[in-house]
Amino acid sequence: MRHLVIRRVIQTLLIMLTVSALLFAVFDSDQFRKKIAVAELGNFGAATLSDSDYQAWIVSKGLDQSFPARYVTWLNHVVHGDLGVSIEKDVAVSTLLKESLSSTAVLAFYVFLIMIPVSLMLGVLAGMKEGSILDRVISVIAVFTTSIPQIATAALLTVVLALGLRWVPTKSAMIDGFSFRELLLPLLTILIYEIGYLVRMTRSAMADVMSSQYIRTALLKGLPYRQVVLKHALRNALVVPVTLILLELTGLLSQVVVVEVFFQYHGFGRMLFDAANFGDIQVIQAATLVAVCVAVASQLLSDIAYVLLNPRLRVA
Amino acid sequence: MNVDNDREHPLIPEAREQLTHGLMDRREFIRLATLLGVAASSAYAIAGVTGPAMAGDNLPFPAVDPKAKRGGKLRIGQTVGRMHDPATYAWNEMSNQTRPMLEYLTMVGPDNVVRPMLVDWWKPSADLKTWILHVRPGVMWHNGDELTADHVAWNIRRWADPALGSSNLGLSTFVALTELTGAKDAKGKALRRQLPNGVEVLDRHTLRLNLSQPVLSVAEDCGEYCTLVLHPSFVAPLSKHPIGTGPYTLAELRVGERCILKRITHMTNGQPFHYWGGEVFLDEIHFYNYTLENATAALASGSVDATYELTVEQLELAQSLPGVQILSVPTAQTLCCRMQVDVKPFDDIRVRRAIVKAADNAAIKQLVFGDHGQVANNCHVAPIHPECFPLPPVVRDVAGAKRLLKEAGYAHGLDVTISVGNNDGPWQQAVCEALRDQVKEAGINLSVDVMPEQRFWEVWNKVPFGATSWAHRPLGTMALAQAYRSGASWNETHYSDPAFDQALSEAEASINVAERKIKMQKVEQILQDAALMVQPFWRPVFSLASSRVHGYQPHPARQIQLNKVWMS
Repeated sequence: MRHLVIRRVIQTLLIMLTVSALLFAVFDSDQFRKKIAVAELGNFGAATLSDSDYQAWIVSKGLDQSFPARYVTWLNHVVHGDLGVSIEKDVAVSTLLKESLSSTAVLAFYVFLIMIPVSLMLGVLAGMKEGSILDRVISVIAVFTTSIPQIATAALLTVVLALGLRWVPTKSAMIDGFSFRELLLPLLTILIYEIGYLVRMTRSAMADVMSSQYIRTALLKGLPYRQVVLKHALRNALVVPVTLILLELTGLLSQVVVVEVFFQYHGFGRMLFDAANFGDIQVIQAATLVAVCVAVASQLLSDIAYVLLNPRLRVA
Repeated sequence: MNVDNDREHPLIPEAREQLTHGLMDRREFIRLATLLGVAASSAYAIAGVTGPAMAGDNLPFPAVDPKAKRGGKLRIGQTVGRMHDPATYAWNEMSNQTRPMLEYLTMVGPDNVVRPMLVDWWKPSADLKTWILHVRPGVMWHNGDELTADHVAWNIRRWADPALGSSNLGLSTFVALTELTGAKDAKGKALRRQLPNGVEVLDRHTLRLNLSQPVLSVAEDCGEYCTLVLHPSFVAPLSKHPIGTGPYTLAELRVGERCILKRITHMTNGQPFHYWGGEVFLDEIHFYNYTLENATAALASGSVDATYELTVEQLELAQSLPGVQILSVPTAQTLCCRMQVDVKPFDDIRVRRAIVKAADNAAIKQLVFGDHGQVANNCHVAPIHPECFPLPPVVRDVAGAKRLLKEAGYAHGLDVTISVGNNDGPWQQAVCEALRDQVKEAGINLSVDVMPEQRFWEVWNKVPFGATSWAHRPLGTMALAQAYRSGASWNETHYSDPAFDQALSEAEASINVAERKIKMQKVEQILQDAALMVQPFWRPVFSLASSRVHGYQPHPARQIQLNKVWMS
């Protein structure tokens, strides 16, 4: 186990180095410098600059240094905990990151809080008796909810719940501070897709286990059905969904871009979207580091969970 | 040095004479008189018409509503940008956030008439090359200093600085404060430097602009969105060191989230702050970051009280909402589906004429904006412009278009592509698609290349056939000078015709609107005959506000002006 953790940490660092170097290289082009000038001064403002004045502007923003020089400086700052300043928002990247991550964490917390029990329960119920009416109903609904793109769900929920029934506000900008009512639409949009997905996975894992030899043997032996499900089937059936749930942490970070932008929720996804549109390189870099961390950490957690849940791997 | 107090321009008595004898209509007279520095209220009075009620003589604000109540906060939905340096603001919304705090030298009203703001009068010379600006006395900065001519001169010099990267250098006044050095940069762009004596301070409240060429639009240019007046102690970002002359100051800015402005009661020196512009009603102004697509929905659920703009796509949704007011104003904002005259096949005027003839401007307008907006004439001068000469409407002629194509050697059809960036909304794409369907009948296969906004701005003046949106300009000559004069900075069609240049210069030299209007006939006709573009319509600007908001007026250049707005 210790080896696994150490290996993953080293992997994380290597991935971070590679990805950040790649990003720096991508952003080290005249085109991107021009993009920043246009974003800052406007198209017409940037166009009024002569070549030498444009170069002077580039120097004033520190964009003139070579790629390795800028990368090494940036790396040095990051190691010392300084993630730089957002050129779009005139604020420290660390502040921006802290605020946006905590907003997204709130959203993620509620997503997991609801998603885990609901989808595991429905998935197990459906997978217990493959082909039963309950299975059919749950499966059809799950396929349906996973086949609608989130942007469509978001629009549909807005029209019905916010504009039609007026139960919730249309947007989730939280302008008067945190409000659970405003969180509902983004939450539902994510849940509708995620629950469907997890239900399908749990159901197929459960169905697999239920059709395996040892369950059949247990049932033929005359053990009560309830006991077979709870004691023998469930634990094995949950291995896959639990690892998936942990991997969902990464999936969520990319899904929130659509949902947060649509509902104007000030989280990590919106921050990334704004930064990508502006060419706000420091913010993109920091966000990427976070994304890599989350991806590797969730991978690690799911590996650990897999080992813990699967007795066959414990000896290895 | 003192300036003579005889402020009436020599043209005023002449214009009054023309008005009396019916040679000039009232609207034109008001235009000319305000341009020459007569207070708008006096101009309306001389013309014998009731103008829009104003807060006071020589004040740019609308009259105070007797029912107006003090207090409350107005929440506006618009994109919230950073407030770094007003002279280099990239978008208008940034100016909206700043306008309650910093002010202009002049203010262009919702009626497209320019009025004095931080300068209380101005006077051009007969050749329009020298302009006297008089700074309004008694205007206080938030730090306790009084606004002086030196402060204004500092700002104007900055706007004319070629190294700043300000879009103000697209405005004639500030270009005329520079001169060509004769040198060119690596890309062949002619270098400019500031005139050494372009801005001259005459006394504490008076300054003179000595321009390198005649400029008609000094007053209008001084009210453009990047000309907010800064205190000379300014250090960017403005959001960290806000000092203005307006009735509000910045309390909080979170880019992409919110911008909160609060009434200023005391200056930083502890003395009470007296605002020069009279009574102001709102306690707080809040901008919340909702993009155009989101703002209407935000207003529907009560998250904001007003929006920056209501897009035509959301008009129907807005009409279904209870307790809201939909406001609209005619503008000179437009879309030019323009062709480059030196690129095949558009270098053949018969091809350009065929495309123009195959288009039905009125039908496109009806399709995209319904009963709103005004049909345009392919010559980029709008009915809202004071000097607009009404050319007869362009008529669709498919047979004529086919004939021209045949003559040009495209008897079996012509394949062309138009690029569009939807930077002013998806309606632009709808225009191109309508055009595609119309020109098809003449045997022209038009494909529409929709590109992301940012990508479009990289190529807007490079594509042979492109749909460019043009912002509102208060005068008709302004866009023509920027876009169609030989070698002009934004000449995207590469059009160059000495006859047009001369006709335009003659029009620009006429401060007398009636005279200019006559000269504009030639200008407009040359441009229309050159078949540079299909310019289907002038679009209206809509905005949306809750019925609790009073005095919220849409503006042709989308400037939000809140001095006399109140909440019930």
